[in-house]
Amino acid sequence: MLTAQLLNSTLVQTTPLLLCALAALITSRANILNVAVEGMALAAAFAAIAVGQATDSSALGLLAALFAATAMAFLFGAVAIGLGADFIVAGLGLNILADGGALFLLEEVYQDPGGLRPDQFPDLWRVPANALSNLPLLGGALEGQSAIALAAFAAVPLCAVFLYRTPVGYALRAVGEDEAAAAAAGIRAARIKMLAVLISGVLSGLAGAQLAMDRLHFFLPDMTSGRGFIGLSAALFGGAEPWPTAGAAFLFGLAGALGDRLQSFQAPSEFVLMAPYVAALLALTIARWRAARRAKPAPIRNRQT
Amino acid sequence: MKLLVLPPHFRTAATLLGPPVAVLAGGFALVLAISSDPILAYQDLLFANFYSAGSFALFINRMTPLLFLGLSVILSFRAGMFNVGGEGQLYLGAMAATIAGLASAGAPRPLGLLLAAGAGAATGAVYALAPALLKVRLGVNEVVSTLMLNFIALLLTQYLVTHPLRDPVAYGAVSWMLPASVWLPEIPGLLGATSAALIALAVAPLAWMLLFRTLWGADLRAAGSNPRFAEAVGIDASRRVLEAMALSGGIAGLAGALYVLGVGHRFEQNFSPGFGLIGLTVALLARLHPFGAVATAAFYALVLNGAAYMQIDTDVPRSLVGLLTGFLVLFMTARGRGAPAPS
Repeated sequence: MLTAQLLNSTLVQTTPLLLCALAALITSRANILNVAVEGMALAAAFAAIAVGQATDSSALGLLAALFAATAMAFLFGAVAIGLGADFIVAGLGLNILADGGALFLLEEVYQDPGGLRPDQFPDLWRVPANALSNLPLLGGALEGQSAIALAAFAAVPLCAVFLYRTPVGYALRAVGEDEAAAAAAGIRAARIKMLAVLISGVLSGLAGAQLAMDRLHFFLPDMTSGRGFIGLSAALFGGAEPWPTAGAAFLFGLAGALGDRLQSFQAPSEFVLMAPYVAALLALTIARWRAARRAKPAPIRNRQT
Repeated sequence: MKLLVLPPHFRTAATLLGPPVAVLAGGFALVLAISSDPILAYQDLLFANFYSAGSFALFINRMTPLLFLGLSVILSFRAGMFNVGGEGQLYLGAMAATIAGLASAGAPRPLGLLLAAGAGAATGAVYALAPALLKVRLGVNEVVSTLMLNFIALLLTQYLVTHPLRDPVAYGAVSWMLPASVWLPEIPGLLGATSAALIALAVAPLAWMLLFRTLWGADLRAAGSNPRFAEAVGIDASRRVLEAMALSGGIAGLAGALYVLGVGHRFEQNFSPGFGLIGLTVALLARLHPFGAVATAAFYALVLNGAAYMQIDTDVPRSLVGLLTGFLVLFMTARGRGAPAPS
C-alpha cells in the first residue's frame, strides 16, 4: 500500500520533469541547448489557468497552454534560428520574457502580482479510483493520474520512434550531429531545427499545463521553479536517449517524492526542496565522469625495449 | 542604393544604443496603449531618480550590485564560461558576510568590516570555482550546473535566515541586525548612498586593465574565444578559466557582502530582485566591456527604480521593465537574416 502511494506521488512529481526532459531531449538531438523550456512551461501554466478560468473548460485551458508554449517556442526559434541569435542568451531572454510577461498581465489585468487563484477551476480527466484495482502495484500508482501524465508516459516511446524510425527523426539527428554534412545531403537544417524547437514547445506546454492544472488549480509567478532546468539536466544525464532520459526524470521525481515524505519527519523544508536540484547536479557530474573515464586512453605501461 | 553611409564609429554607436532605444520605444507604445497618463509614466521611469537627493541615493544603491554583477559576468564570459550563477554567488556572499559580521561583533572597526567583506568574496569565489572545475575537468555544462547551484544557494540561505539566524522580533525572513562596527560608511555628503558604489566604480577600470592591458588578460581572452588555439600556443587555458571564474564569483560574492554591510545591515531573503539575470543583461548590453557596464548598470538602476515611481504615480505596473528586459535579452545577440553563424 505504502509503496503504491510512494510510486503514485513519484509519478505526480515526475510528469512535469519528464515532459521538460523530453522537450530538452528533442532540441538537444538537433544540437540546441534549450534553456528556454522553463519559460515556455511558465507561459503555458499561466495560459492554462487564465483560459481555464475564463471558459470553465479544462480542455480549452489545456489547448491555450499548448498554444502559448508553442508561440513562445516559435518566437525563440525565429530569433535564434532565423536571426542567428545565441541559443543560450535568447533562451534566457525568453525565460525573462515569460516571467516579466506573466507578472505584467497579473498586475495589469488581474490587479494581483501574487498570482492567479480562481475560486472554481475545472479538473482534468484522470484515471478513476479503483478502476485498476486488479493490477497489483501499478494500479495504485496510476489511479488518479491526470490525462497529461498518461500522455507524458506515452511520449517516451513516441519520441524514441520519432527519432529512430521516421525520416524526419533521421534528419533531425543528422542536423544535430553535423549540420554542414546534413545540409550537403539535402536536408533543410534551419527547418528541421525549427521543428525541433516547436516540438519542445508542445512538450513544455504539456509540462506547464500539468503543473498548474493537475492539483494546484492556480498560477504563481515562480511556479516552474527550475523544473525546466532539471528536465534539461535529465536529458543531458540520459545522453539525450529517450529511455535513459525518462529514467533520469523518474529518479529526480523520486527525489522530490522522498523529500515530501521526509517533511513529515520534521526535516527542514528547504533541504527537502533542494533534493531534485542536488540530484540533478550529482547526476550530471556522474554522467560526465563516467564518459571521461571511458574516453581516457589506456595507460601506457613501462615498455622495456 | 545606399542613401546613408555612416562612418564606422557612428555605426558602432548605433549597434550599441539601438537595442535599448528600440525596446524603450516599444515600451512607450505599450504604455500609450494601456495608460491614461503615458507621459508621466515614462517621465517617472527615466527621471524619477533625480527628483530628490533621497531617490538619487536609492539609485546609487541599486546601481552598485548591478555593476558588480555585470563585471562578474564580463570576466567569466570573456574566459568562455557562461556563468549564470551570479545570483547564487551573490546570495552566498551576502550570507557569509552576515555570519562573519555577526561573529566579529567585538572586533575593532575596520577589521570586522574587512573580514566580513573578505568572507563574502571568498565564498562567492569558491561557489563559482566548483562549476568551473566540473567544466574543466569533466566537461559538465556550466550553464546547467550554475543554474542548479542558484536554486541550492537560495534554499540554503533561506534555511539559515529562517532558522538559526532569524531575528524573531523583526517582520519577515531577516537575520539579526549586524553590529554598527561592521557597517560600511555612506558616501560623505550623500545621505543613504552606500560607498560600495565607489568600490564598484574602482573595480570597473581594474577589470578593464586586467582584461585588456595585461598578458594574463590576453591569455584569458584567447582561452575564451578559442581554447584549442590558446592551448596550441602554450597558454594554460584551463587554468585561466578557473582563475577567471574565481574572480567572477568573488566579485558577485563581494556584491552580496557589500549590499549587506552597506545597505541592508542584515540579511534579507528577498534582497535581490534578480540581480543575477539583470547583471547578465547589463554585461551583454555593454558588449562585455567593463566601461560599458558602468553605463548599462546605471541605465538599469535608473529604469528599475523609476519603474517603482511609475507604478505609484500612474496605472502602469512596474513589471513593464521585466517584460521589456525579456525582449531586450531575447533579441540581444540577433544578427539579422542571413548572417553567418560563428563557428
